[in-house]
Amino acid sequence: MLITYALGSCIGICLYDPLVKLGGLLHIMLPLNMETGRKNTLKYADTGLSEMVRQMTLKGANTSRLTAKIAGGAKMFESNGNWGNIGQRNIESVHMQLKKHGIKLLKEDVGGTVARTLLFDVSNGMACIRSYGKPELII
Amino acid sequence: MNLKGYDELNSLEIDTLQEIGSIGTGNAATALSQLLNCEVRITTPEVRIMGYNEAIEWIGGAEEITAGVLVRLGGKINGIMLAVQKLDFVNQVLQSMMDMQVEDYIGLGEMERSALIEVGNIMISTFINALSGLADLEIDLTVPAFTVDMQGAIMAVPMAEYGGQSDYIMTIGGNFLCNGNQVPCRLLLSPDIRSLNFLLGKLGVSDGE
Repeated sequence: MLITYALGSCIGICLYDPLVKLGGLLHIMLPLNMETGRKNTLKYADTGLSEMVRQMTLKGANTSRLTAKIAGGAKMFESNGNWGNIGQRNIESVHMQLKKHGIKLLKEDVGGTVARTLLFDVSNGMACIRSYGKPELII
Repeated sequence: MNLKGYDELNSLEIDTLQEIGSIGTGNAATALSQLLNCEVRITTPEVRIMGYNEAIEWIGGAEEITAGVLVRLGGKINGIMLAVQKLDFVNQVLQSMMDMQVEDYIGLGEMERSALIEVGNIMISTFINALSGLADLEIDLTVPAFTVDMQGAIMAVPMAEYGGQSDYIMTIGGNFLCNGNQVPCRLLLSPDIRSLNFLLGKLGVSDGE
């Protein structure tokens, strides 16, 4: 079981290859890696997903079989104007990156205003979401 | 004007920020004392430079529920200021302002939330006013926003906002004691790197000035 706690505007991405039963969980914070020479690739949707796919492929997964489930991208504080939109931008970026890698998005629980803890069972590809004041959600 | 990351701050600069924290938190404590009509003391404010995981652990676990008031700073200083209000603090405020208490955050109604936002807003504004006077800077504040949720996600707001600049976050802030009781409320100021350089320059401790 892989867990990532308290996803606010961040997004948790579960990738799963059902044939070889290989799963991975990525926690991204920002939509695009704009920095040159930045070492922390896993913080960003674009470079993070590429790195995850690369590592999973090395371990025997096949991109064409990979499926994705994602959660997060909430807006933690209501606000006027265009700040606080990181969650929405993260969602759009993750959708785009999944499409780019040809990974099918099976289920998602994104947006809204509530933080999520994401649990991913790598033995069967099931994901579970815990939020404050809400029942658990299985995706 | 040459810091590229929070981890490059030297001890003189950290001392200066600590002093800002003391003055700001002290002023906020005075405001809180008048609001709640009780004696308010503060713990020595600290400046902390932390990675995300460290920050979460420091504040007491990602999934723990807390109330948070967020104000965004603009003008000469850009940044985010958070007032993290734990349940004991919430009850202290509600007791003295509305003569009531709640079992948990779910019990907060419209009126109670409104009171908490206002208390958070007043504490943050007093802190920033002190900073603004000290450095002779105009700082604009946005309308406060409020949420009750996992504190990991609340702390991630400034992290995500400035995550493109640094893998670390800097927070300046302290804790409050009302009538000798610890009332967990933290004021956290997170300026962006450019503003931090500017602020240190204004206060005359930046190498680049």
